[in-house]
Amino acid sequence: MFYKELRVCFLLLLFFVLPRAVWSQTLYSLSGTLRDAETGETLIGATAFIPATGKGASSDINGNYVLSLSPGAYTIQFSYLGYQTLTRQINFSKDQKLDITLSPSLNELKEVVVEANSLNEKLKSTQMSVEKLTTQEAKLLPALFGEVDLIKTLQLKPGVQSGGEGTSGLYVRGGGPDQNLFLVDDATVYNASHLFGFFSIFNPDAVQSVDLYKGGFPAQYGGRLSSVVDIKMREGNKQRFSTSGGIGLIASRLTVEGPIQRNRSSFLLSARRTYFDVFTRRYNKMKEGVKDYNPIPDYYFYDLNGKASFELGPDDKLFFTGYFGNDVFGFQNKGFNFDFDWGNKVAALRWNHRFSPRLYSNTTVSVSDYQYGIKNNVGTRSFKMGSGVRDYSLRVDFDYQLDTAHALKFGATAVSHDFVVGRLSAGSSDGGTAFSSDIGHKAGEYGLYISDDYTVNSRLALNIGARLSGFSKDTSFFVGFEPRFSARYNLTESVSLKGSYTRMVQYVHLVSNSGASLPTDVWYPSNGRVKPQQSNQVALGISKLSNSGKYLFTNEVYYKWMNRQIDFRDGAQLFVNPNLDQEFIFGKGFSYGNEIYFEKKTGKTTGWVGYTLSWTNRKFPEINQGKIFPTRYDRRHDITVVAMHQLNPRVSLTGTWVYGTGSTYSVPLGKMVMQDIPGADFLYIPLYAAERNNYRLAAYHRLDLGMVYKLRPRYGESDLTFSIYNVYNRRNPYFIYIDAIKNGDESKILGFRAKQVSLFPIIPSVTYNFKF
Amino acid sequence: MKIVSGLLLLLLAAGFTGCDMEKEIDLNLPEFQSEIVVEGYLEAGKPYRVNIYESTSYFDRPEPVLIPDAVVIITHNGKADTLRFSPFYDKETEKIYTHSSVTLVSGNPGETYSLEVKDARGRRVTGFAQFLPKVTIDSLEWKFNNEGKALIEGTFQDDAATQDAYRYQIHKDSLTHRRRENDRFLNDRLNNGKKIAFGTTYKFFPNDTLFITLYHIEQPYYEFLNTMDDARDANGNPFAQPSAIKSTVQGGLGVFTTLTYDRKQIILK
Repeated sequence: MFYKELRVCFLLLLFFVLPRAVWSQTLYSLSGTLRDAETGETLIGATAFIPATGKGASSDINGNYVLSLSPGAYTIQFSYLGYQTLTRQINFSKDQKLDITLSPSLNELKEVVVEANSLNEKLKSTQMSVEKLTTQEAKLLPALFGEVDLIKTLQLKPGVQSGGEGTSGLYVRGGGPDQNLFLVDDATVYNASHLFGFFSIFNPDAVQSVDLYKGGFPAQYGGRLSSVVDIKMREGNKQRFSTSGGIGLIASRLTVEGPIQRNRSSFLLSARRTYFDVFTRRYNKMKEGVKDYNPIPDYYFYDLNGKASFELGPDDKLFFTGYFGNDVFGFQNKGFNFDFDWGNKVAALRWNHRFSPRLYSNTTVSVSDYQYGIKNNVGTRSFKMGSGVRDYSLRVDFDYQLDTAHALKFGATAVSHDFVVGRLSAGSSDGGTAFSSDIGHKAGEYGLYISDDYTVNSRLALNIGARLSGFSKDTSFFVGFEPRFSARYNLTESVSLKGSYTRMVQYVHLVSNSGASLPTDVWYPSNGRVKPQQSNQVALGISKLSNSGKYLFTNEVYYKWMNRQIDFRDGAQLFVNPNLDQEFIFGKGFSYGNEIYFEKKTGKTTGWVGYTLSWTNRKFPEINQGKIFPTRYDRRHDITVVAMHQLNPRVSLTGTWVYGTGSTYSVPLGKMVMQDIPGADFLYIPLYAAERNNYRLAAYHRLDLGMVYKLRPRYGESDLTFSIYNVYNRRNPYFIYIDAIKNGDESKILGFRAKQVSLFPIIPSVTYNFKF
Repeated sequence: MKIVSGLLLLLLAAGFTGCDMEKEIDLNLPEFQSEIVVEGYLEAGKPYRVNIYESTSYFDRPEPVLIPDAVVIITHNGKADTLRFSPFYDKETEKIYTHSSVTLVSGNPGETYSLEVKDARGRRVTGFAQFLPKVTIDSLEWKFNNEGKALIEGTFQDDAATQDAYRYQIHKDSLTHRRRENDRFLNDRLNNGKKIAFGTTYKFFPNDTLFITLYHIEQPYYEFLNTMDDARDANGNPFAQPSAIKSTVQGGLGVFTTLTYDRKQIILK
């Protein structure tokens, strides 16, 4: 079966690709690099377009574009939103290189013009189910505590949900938080959040663009079931030194960038740190000695981003990306010392080589490391615990523009995984008692892929590809065949139909029964008992561009079915368990829905409205008596309204409103009384129904407002960004619980009542941003 | 990990203290199917005593609903003893017992006891318990810090040949539940056959009288305590996954087990 599928797919590829190879002899290529005229940074996703023929191309992650053309005279438009469009006339009779620099728009508030890809590009692309975001867009929108968060901005797109109030977890088309692949310049990041998920680790000052794939996954991506978040870091200014930053309510940022060798190489260093620990320490000091006062735990996070890029020659570029971030948490009370820190370290080195104007390669070596550690000391006794995962990766990617009709991508990846599932040591300082445990696994993950973006004619375009993945762990070896197919058919110049089918295989699994992503969650490899997860997704959509490209309307329906989903037995021992896989249980997942999206890109008022109707269910023989049950993040209706209005050249106003059907939740139905053994208190024990997630919380809705006010400093640029989170102070449910009603002196329980806990009230904030 | 999610909740609570982020809501719970709940701890030298009552809907009255027609039989060495329904409050243990008999538990290591409960509605609950050997507290120390407060540290030896679970309690001044200072349970999953340490933070004062009790408990009782803890934790902790109770009895809910313990009394000087 597997080999039959494989053979069919590759035969299809050959069928489409080979005949065209013969015709390509009479065509020449026009290629080059698109850059920012002020900073020299390459522009990702900029467009080279020939209006007379309707042909065009987008620049890749290196800013490179390539057009295959017959000899002749052409007028070519180069454009990038937020930049002035440049028109060039060329007479074309041989392969030609044409590098272009685009100047930023004269508009003072250029951030109002958002998103790199034009709506026309969205309409014409075979790619569907993708959300693209630039830092400028995220920076404009109101944010919790004024902290701009790219991942939370993605949550405003249809089909993407948050895990809960204020969290940066992503739940994409019914997938869990463990089923998202986060890539930073092609290096995997395992835990992409700070503060237990309330902030993502991506410092917006260091990020150039974010692409979120919800479906229709290109063949170069693999390893997670539900989404790919592809983050590209900025290269830094190649022409002059520049400093930018911001001072906010809870954190400050500073970025320094500049040329190493003007126009040829550059660097960027960016840092961010929170400082609420400074205030909580003072507060704890003030309260020292107050009876029954529980000190507020010490907490801060920081991250450092760095990138250096070098042009080694006309055909070779080298990029180095580094990320280092940590969360630090400490708690001291009555001689009880508890330290907990966790963080990611990522480094990637990419070599971009141009073999010819039509053939590029990117070779990337990277290392990604996520670790957490807990230290606990009481008197002479100590306890240390930790877990983590470290990857060493090598990937080679080729882009080959075969002719005007075929753009091929092919490549290979190999990853060495080193999992520390549980490391523990405990004992007393006198050595009287001591024990330790160290449970680790090594595994290898591999991938080969090829895809052809095939323009059949002016109406029909196909993207046909496949990925062959593999995973080895001890004596177990798994192979996955992952076909990827998408198609676009232009019904008219402004209406296109799209469809896709993709299969994804996930070989590493998150061990968590918290329903959220916590830093103590550990990753676990597939093995003889824990087989790889697999998903299949079908999506169909229609896109319509109207009012001369001002508005884009899309409607997508999807159905996703997932095999070998993972949950855990009741009372499972998930920490430092050498037989952890005995605690796993396996089931199926189903998710389907309809995503409607309306977007306006031009004019003084821009924004979008999204609506998602969806169902997300799981089925496990051991849960809910084997019947289907909704997941915690099953939401029937999800509405997002995002509006940005440029009031005048110095002031822009923004607002977002979100509405979601309440999340499901497991509430106890009954209770039993336990007197417990002599010398212990009697207890009420909640009894949960066999039905998982048997209660739906109240609906979630919230309005946020923001304003960016451009200042006129003597040097450089600066602005004040105001945000009001939860403007009408809605008490959105975070969780509910059942509480005892006690008499006055709390000695007797009179009854019980249900309580709803909310997290964030109305929160105004202001951030001062500067650049010089 | 409970301590992590607990500290997170503490951090969140600290951030918005005074913002009144809690409110009472109406919660219409579906119909609840009640079951027989058993609670019986056999202790050497003590009579057979158990509690039998119903589990109830969460919003029902807090008092346990008794089952007067329940027939409770404990069998040991082939001898079946039917316990009498006669609820009473025992001053020594400060507990209420619904069913009891005058038969005393011999409680020698290895001895087994079985339980059967039947009621007029045809429900039947069974259970089984075995006495384990006593594990003694090998060492007990206390240390004072600069503020004049003391912590307690103790050790005991785990048997490498068996899978064991323990519960320890520390009481101050008396063994009443009101003076309980520490109560923990653990198993030897990570330190089988080793010397195991236990202790407290700096919380005691000079001249405090402490009772330290180390129970050697049955594995099913450990799992019952564990899932009971998980279930309680899930009510009020959004990061916890609700857990079904793993009872030690079949056909109902609850626990039927033995209590074997070593107890030391110390005065902090």
